[in-house]
Amino acid sequence: MKTESSPNDISPRARVALYGLLCVLAIPFVFPTWWMVTSSVKPISDIFAFPPELIPSRFDWSTYAEVFKLQPFAQQYWNSCYIAAIVTVGTMAVSSMAGYAFARIKFPGANLIFMVVLLGLLIPSEVTIVPLFQMFLKWGLVNTHWPLILVPIFGAPSVFATFVMRQFFIALPVELEEAARVDGLSRFGIFWQIALPLAKPALAAVAIFTFLHSWNLYLEPIVFLTTPGNFTLPQALTQYVDVYQGPMWNTQLAAATLTALPVLVVFIFAQRQFIEGLAHTGLKG
Amino acid sequence: MPTAALTADRSRKRPFWTMERRDSLAGYLFIAPQLCGIVLFVLIPLGLVVWYSLHEWNVLAGTFRFVGDANYKKLAADPALPEVLGATAIFSAGLVVFNLSLALLLAILVNQKLRGITVFRTIFFSPVVVSLVAWTIVWNFLLQANGGINGLLQVIGVTGPNWLRSPPTAMASVIVVQVFKNVGLNMVLFLAALQGVPRELYEAARVDGASRWTQFHAITVPLISPTILLTMIITIVGSLQVFAQIAVLTQGGPGMSTTVLVYYLYQQAFQFHRFGYGATISILLFLIVAVLTFAQWQMRKRIVFYEN
Amino acid sequence: MKLFDLRLAALAAGIALPLAAVPAIAQDIRMAIWSANEAHLKLFNEIAAAYTAQHPEVKVSFDSLPFDGYTTTLTTQIAGGNAPDLAWILETTAGDFVSSGALSPLKATFEGVADYNLADVTESALSLWTADGEIYAYPFSTSPFGMFVNNDVIKAAGQQTPAELIAAGEWTWDKAEAINTAVAAAGKQGLIVRDFDYKVWDNLASIWNGWGASPWSADGKTCTFTEQPMVDAMSFIHKAIFTDKAIPGPGVTADFFAGDAAMTITQISRASLLPKENPFNWDLVPLPSGPAGEYAVIGQAGIGVFASGKNPAVAADFLAFFSNPDNAKKLAKFFPPPRSSLLNAEVLGAANPLLSATQIENVVIKGISTGKVKPGHAGFAEIQQTARAALDALWVADADVPAVLKSVCDRIQPML
Repeated sequence: MKTESSPNDISPRARVALYGLLCVLAIPFVFPTWWMVTSSVKPISDIFAFPPELIPSRFDWSTYAEVFKLQPFAQQYWNSCYIAAIVTVGTMAVSSMAGYAFARIKFPGANLIFMVVLLGLLIPSEVTIVPLFQMFLKWGLVNTHWPLILVPIFGAPSVFATFVMRQFFIALPVELEEAARVDGLSRFGIFWQIALPLAKPALAAVAIFTFLHSWNLYLEPIVFLTTPGNFTLPQALTQYVDVYQGPMWNTQLAAATLTALPVLVVFIFAQRQFIEGLAHTGLKG
Repeated sequence: MPTAALTADRSRKRPFWTMERRDSLAGYLFIAPQLCGIVLFVLIPLGLVVWYSLHEWNVLAGTFRFVGDANYKKLAADPALPEVLGATAIFSAGLVVFNLSLALLLAILVNQKLRGITVFRTIFFSPVVVSLVAWTIVWNFLLQANGGINGLLQVIGVTGPNWLRSPPTAMASVIVVQVFKNVGLNMVLFLAALQGVPRELYEAARVDGASRWTQFHAITVPLISPTILLTMIITIVGSLQVFAQIAVLTQGGPGMSTTVLVYYLYQQAFQFHRFGYGATISILLFLIVAVLTFAQWQMRKRIVFYEN
Repeated sequence: MKLFDLRLAALAAGIALPLAAVPAIAQDIRMAIWSANEAHLKLFNEIAAAYTAQHPEVKVSFDSLPFDGYTTTLTTQIAGGNAPDLAWILETTAGDFVSSGALSPLKATFEGVADYNLADVTESALSLWTADGEIYAYPFSTSPFGMFVNNDVIKAAGQQTPAELIAAGEWTWDKAEAINTAVAAAGKQGLIVRDFDYKVWDNLASIWNGWGASPWSADGKTCTFTEQPMVDAMSFIHKAIFTDKAIPGPGVTADFFAGDAAMTITQISRASLLPKENPFNWDLVPLPSGPAGEYAVIGQAGIGVFASGKNPAVAADFLAFFSNPDNAKKLAKFFPPPRSSLLNAEVLGAANPLLSATQIENVVIKGISTGKVKPGHAGFAEIQQTARAALDALWVADADVPAVLKSVCDRIQPML
C-alpha cells in the first residue's frame, strides 16, 4: 500500500494500475447518478429494460413537465433552499460564538456546560421528535417551517458545528488575542475582528455540513409539514405516486434529477474550496 | 492568562466588573443561544420522553395512563428485541468497518500525485451532495432482481443475487448504499490527516529500508489515529440513526433482518401508535449511543498514539 | 332615568339582533383526505360551498395529506392534540379507528336528516364501519378488484382470451394459471398482483378468497392461516411464482400498464393508467373462480368524525350532507358508491367512460354488491408487519408452505 509518493517514484506500470483501480472504484459513485439522469428521460417501459440501456434509445421529456404539474415543485424547491440557507447562516453564528467561548473564555461551569451541550451530539432526532411535535403544536407552529429552522440552529444538530469550531479555536495561537486585548478590544471585538476572520476554513466546513444536513432532512419534514405547498424536496420526492400509492417511476426520477443536478454542478465548480474547507478544520484531531 | 493573573494580584479596591467577571459574563452570553437551544430542544424533550416511557399512551383512544416500569419490563421481555439489537450491531459494525477502510483507501489513492486526480476526488465526494432520499430511491431501482446492478453484472457474465430479498444481501445492500453515500466525507478528513504527516518521517524510513507496508502501519496509522478515532465516533453515532434508507429499501425485511433499533422505534411509535413504548425504546437507543461514545472516548488513551 | 333605560334597551337590541341572525359562532371544520387530485378537490369544495350556503357559520376545508404515511401523519396529529374534524380512513385501519373510540357515532345524525335514506346504503358496505349496531363512518368509496388483461400478449402466446373462457364458462384460476405460465414461457410476465410487491400480503385476498380462505376467523380472534383453504391457496400462489413463473418473483419489477404482462389484479379506477399512445387490446374481467366458486373482493375507504375534534356535532352534520343521495351521486363520478340506488350501469358508466357496459355489469356492479371487503383488524399495522416478516420465508423457491403459515399464526395469534 502506498502512503506518500512524489511523481517520480510511481513507475509507468504502477500508474496504469492506479488509474485502473480508480476507475473501477468510481463506478458505484458515478453509475447511480448516471442511471438517474438517463432514466428520467426514458419512456417508462425502457426503465425496466434488462439489461439496462446506458444511453437512452427513446426520449420522453414530458416527465419534467409532470414534475411541476403534480406538485408545487418550484415552491418546494424554494422552501428547501431558503430553509437550508437560513439554517446555515444561523448555525454559523450560534456555533462560532459558543465554540469560541468554550475554547477561549474561562468561566465557572464551562466544562460542565460543555458536557451538557455535547449530549446533543448523542441524541438521534427520532428520540425527541414526539415531544418536539407537541411543543411546536402548542406554539401553533406545526405546518410552518419554524421547527425545521429553529431546531437545527439552536438544538442538537448545531452541536457538531460548535464542536468543530471549538477544536479550531483551541488550536489558534493566543498571542494575537493578547495583543488585541492590550489595544483595549472587548471580548466581542476580539472574537469578531481577530478570531472569526481566521476561522474561515472551519466556518466553511460548518457551512457545508449544515447545508447538507438541512438539505437532506427527511423525518422532521414528514412529521411537521402537512400541506404540499410547505413541503421540502426530500419529502416531495416520495410524493410522486398516483392516488393509489403506485409510484410514478420516471416522474420521480425526473424530480430526483432536478434536486441533485444543481447542487452537483455547484459542487463541481467549487470543489476545491469545498474539500479544502473540510480538510483544514480542527477535525484532524 | 498573564493579564488575568495580573488583575487577580491587584488588591482590595478593584471594581465589581473585573476583567475576570466581564470575561465570565461574555462567556455566558456567547454560549447563551446554544445553551438555551439545548435546554429547550434537547433536555426538555428528553425529560418528556422519560415521562412518556412511564405511561401507556394509546393515541387513538386518547388514553394516557401511568404504568410505572411496565414498558421497561415489556422491552426487556420483547421477543423481537434480540433480533433487533443483533441487526443493529451487524449494521453498525459493518458500516463502520467498511466505511473507514474504504475512506482510508480512497484517501490514500487521491493523495497520489497523478494527473487528473481531482476528477476522482470530485467523483468520490459527489454522492455526499446528492439528496439522501434521491440517492436511496435510485439504489432501490438498481438493486431489484432485474435492476441495473444485475444488468451490469450480466454484461460481464455473472448472475446477480436478488439483493433486497435475502437477509445477508439485504443487510449488505443497506450498508453499502449508506457507505457510498457518505464515504466522501471521511475520505476528505483522512486526506487532510495524511497531508499533515511530515514527509521527513517517510524519507527517514525509506533510508532505513522500511517497506511500504511498514511505513503505513508504523508511521501513517499512528499519526492519523486521532482522525481515525473521531471519524469512528461520528460514523457509529450516525449509523445508529439511519432511518430513511431502511424505510425506502427494505422496510426492515426480509423477516426482521434489517429492522435496526431506530426503525423499530419508528414502527412502534408511529405505525403501531404506541408512543409510550416508543419512548422506552428511545431511552434504550440513547443509552447505547451514550455508552458507545463514552467507551470510545476512554479508548482514546490506549489507541491514539499522539494528540496535538 | 327613562332615557337611560331606552338607551340600554337599544344597546341590548343592538347586541341581541346580530346574535339572533348568527345563532352560533363561526365554525371551521377540516377534513383530512389523501387525494390531492384537482378534480376531486373541486367537487369537494363545491359540496362544501353548498353546505356553507345553508349554514353560513360553517366553513369546511380539505387537508390533502400524502398517501404515503397517511395514517402515520394522522395519528401524529391526533397525538399532538390537533385531530382533524373528519378524516378519510383506509379499510385496513378501520378496525383500529372503530374499536378505539376515537370516532363519533353517526347513526342518529344520518337518521335525523330528511331524505337521507340510510337504508339505501348497503349493509355489506357498512359492515366494516359498524360496531354494536352503531355506525362510525360513511364508506364513500367501495372499489371492487378486477382483472385487467392484455389480449395481445395472451394471443401472442397462443392462448384463449379470458373473454372467450368466460363465454365458455371456464374462467377459473387453473385456466388463468395455464395462460400465465404460457405467457411467461413466451418471454413476457404473467400475472401481476398490483401493489403486493411481496410486502402488502393483504392484497393477496384477491386470490385466496377464491379458495374461501381468510387470515383470521370472522370474529377476528383466531388465526386461520393454517387452515386448509389458506394452505391450498398459498401453495397455489407459491407454485405459480416459483414453479410456473406465472407471477413475477420477488424483486422483479414489471408494469402491466406498460404492456409487460398478461394480467393484473387491481382496483377498477386504475383503468386511468391504460396507455393512451400505442394502446394494447385490453379487457377488464371479474376475478376467475376458485375451488370455492365465484367471488369478488372490494377495497373501501370511509369518512369518520373524530370525537376529539372541536365540534363533532357540526362535523357529523356536514358528513350527513356530504353523503346525502344528491351528493353521493356526484361523488360516484370518482368513487364507486355504497348506495344501491346508484349501483346501475347509467351512473357507473358515466363515472367510468373507459369501461364497456358488460365490464361495468360484471365487474363493478356485481363486485360491489357481492364483494367481501379486504381483511382488516384492530391493530392492523402491527399484524401486517409481523405477518409480513413471517411470510418472507414463503417467498423462496424451496419454502415449506404449511410450516411458514404455522409460523405466521404463531406470531400473530397473540395480537388477535
